[in-house]
Amino acid sequence: MVKIKYLLIGGLIAVIGIVAVFIFSPREEKKVKKPFYLLSEWVSKSSEENAFTMLQKMKNIGTLFDEECVLKVPSQSLSGSYKREEITTYAGSARSYFSQLHLKFYDFSILFLEKEVAKVSLTSRLTGRSTAGEQMDETRELECVLKKIEKKWLFSAIDVVEVLKK
Amino acid sequence: MTLHHKIRQFFLPSLTTKFLIRICLVALSAYLFFGYLCIPFYIQGISMEPTYRHGGFNFCWRLPYFFSEPKRHEVVAVRFAGSKVMLLKRVVALEDEQVEFRDGKLYVDGKEMDEPYVRFPCNWNLSPRRVEKDCVYVIGDNRSMSIENHHFGQASKSRILGTPLW
Repeated sequence: MVKIKYLLIGGLIAVIGIVAVFIFSPREEKKVKKPFYLLSEWVSKSSEENAFTMLQKMKNIGTLFDEECVLKVPSQSLSGSYKREEITTYAGSARSYFSQLHLKFYDFSILFLEKEVAKVSLTSRLTGRSTAGEQMDETRELECVLKKIEKKWLFSAIDVVEVLKK
Repeated sequence: MTLHHKIRQFFLPSLTTKFLIRICLVALSAYLFFGYLCIPFYIQGISMEPTYRHGGFNFCWRLPYFFSEPKRHEVVAVRFAGSKVMLLKRVVALEDEQVEFRDGKLYVDGKEMDEPYVRFPCNWNLSPRRVEKDCVYVIGDNRSMSIENHHFGQASKSRILGTPLW
């Protein structure tokens, strides 16, 4: 009877340990998701944002991208390879159209094509208000490729999936 | 068994093994049924008005398209992003058919279509285009907005999840 009791306690501790390791270990998936959370934070904008914060965020956005990144955004007629600086400029000009902006990512599905290349399928939701006062609420499916460069996962391709092709 | 006892047993059943198994089975069945077969959704947007109104509630019934292909004039739910965002549209043309709009009238393979579900007139013009293999052409019933502001086009059949229950 005593043995069973100890076995049960031991088993319980082992399960808790495995769950704790699973939750708290910095697994590669977590590291792959990190640039998305940072992009979400830096793209988002409040109505009280000052010029210094704006410049800082623009600079930060650039650090999430590879030197060259392939963008495919059919709705914005963006298609091709863009330099990091071009993306930063584009992001800056896009942000300037909005007084408030919030970007969120959901439904992550991560596939490691190689050890240091990950393909991520996910949902993005962009909500906000333009400087002219128009509300915006856009949801899109994205397919992104990230590469691990100097221990950091960077965007090397972003493809906005065109579900309905006119 | 007295009535009082029966009521008490109904609302506060004793936690027997049988009861717990029954609860687990009911929960599992509900999860599978409402998660994969009959998915509840809220309608956001006006693209299917007046057939489906903004703010309405419905279920996406998936069973029909497990066994058959979507047919013309059927309303379908197209998976737009992730597993939660769907578009509610009507199938107007099938694969290998040619679609065009002339002064607000829909033509499929050169024949004007009768669309009693379209209540708001439009003046859309769209040059002829052929529906690709394994795709269907979907459009919303409400065409009162400009053609640029209406999400429509060809969608892969693999993205069609089901049909609204009512």
